Amino acid sequence: MNRLQFGEGACEKTRRYMDAYLSNELLVETTHDVLRHLESCPACTAELEARTRLRSRLKAAVEAQTAPPHLHALVREKLRNNQPARWRFYAVAAVAMLIVTAVWLRPGPTPLPDIADRAAQATYIQKVSATVAQVFKPGLGDHIHCALFRIYPQAPPDIREMENKLGEEYKGLLPLVSPAVPEGYRLVMAHQCTYAGRHFIHLTLRKGTDVISLVITRKNPDESFRTLSPSADASGVPVYQASAANFQVAGFESEHYLAYIVSDLKSAANLEIATALAPTVHQLLS
Amino acid sequence: MLFSNKPRMNEFEAAALPHLNDIYRTAARLLGDKARADDVLQDVYLQAWKSFDKFEPGTNCRAWLFKILFHTINHYRRKWLNIRMVKESEEILQTAAAADPPVPEQITDEDLLAALDQVPQDFRSVVLLVDVEEFSYKEASAILSVPIGTVMSRLSRGRKLLRERLAGMAQQYGILPNPDEGRSA
Repeated sequence: MNRLQFGEGACEKTRRYMDAYLSNELLVETTHDVLRHLESCPACTAELEARTRLRSRLKAAVEAQTAPPHLHALVREKLRNNQPARWRFYAVAAVAMLIVTAVWLRPGPTPLPDIADRAAQATYIQKVSATVAQVFKPGLGDHIHCALFRIYPQAPPDIREMENKLGEEYKGLLPLVSPAVPEGYRLVMAHQCTYAGRHFIHLTLRKGTDVISLVITRKNPDESFRTLSPSADASGVPVYQASAANFQVAGFESEHYLAYIVSDLKSAANLEIATALAPTVHQLLS
Repeated sequence: MLFSNKPRMNEFEAAALPHLNDIYRTAARLLGDKARADDVLQDVYLQAWKSFDKFEPGTNCRAWLFKILFHTINHYRRKWLNIRMVKESEEILQTAAAADPPVPEQITDEDLLAALDQVPQDFRSVVLLVDVEEFSYKEASAILSVPIGTVMSRLSRGRKLLRERLAGMAQQYGILPNPDEGRSA
């Protein structure tokens, strides 16, 4: 009866299903049909047993082969020497992000301290001047101290007042400066001042918030630009140059004076002003 | 170390390295060359490591490695051999269903493996996946990127070819009588 489940040609059908039966891939109903046939068919049962044995022997024979012991270590080593692209990408991205962050957080021009905060101003000047040669520091310091930390009146003093403040000895500087500076700058201050225990002749020109100073001071003993390399020669007067933060300082000297042009212009423009003024100012100070 | 991937590497090794033997023996049986199997195995693990972020935890890592294995082997086949392998398989398909010889019991494991090596690779692959590695038809289908029907037919014919090769060996050894002997023309 069981053999009749597959009807005629049950052995042929059973053997056709035998591969799927061996792999346990038959539907439950078909498996039951195969089993019923096998119960009463010694030939198909023998065939199934032979195929099952062959399958088991094949599996055992193949599985008897194992990877050489060194291969485990070799694979581990190769794995550790090869970073996947994803991690490389993240590493590159992280480095790029660090660079962007570093650039973003890079200290920009140090902001000016409050005009009423004298201590902060002194610290600021000290910090800004730290990188320049000692001989540049007096001019740079006085420019920041006197020209930047200042509230300018709406209308600048007239020329007579400036002449008075400069005195007879230095009022001749007034007509010299305006022709030497870029267009738009206006003389807003000319006086004698003191900074850090030192006396200065100080002329200031402004254009909006941009400020140019001509600062002159008497030399201290052994104080000179001559130990430095000049950046320009103004009709025989060597002109020296330095940068500090966003300030440009150009200097020259006479026998008894040091003169500075200090601004936040580009270095070439600042040097050009100093070069233009150096011969006449040098002559006046001599 | 910045962005250390050691935990990820440990995770990969824990999931993948236990299957190294399975991958190696299948590669060796398919390539018939232990040196090439070494190379392929290393390639498989490197590929797997590089694409480990695509592996879904909880899914079958072993099947995933076998899929990479067959992909790598196909790459090597194109490099080492030629496309004639496919033609050979098709030619044998026409003759594979012809005979159904008995399986000789006296055959050794070495003979068994030698017979398996003579089965064309397309069929051998399915026999190895289903009979040795015990993957389901569905898993074998996914590993080989072929339909389940193809897995079934290749398995059936692969097993039959194996039995034929073994029967041929048995006849050579005198274990089985030659079915053609004693027949009159």
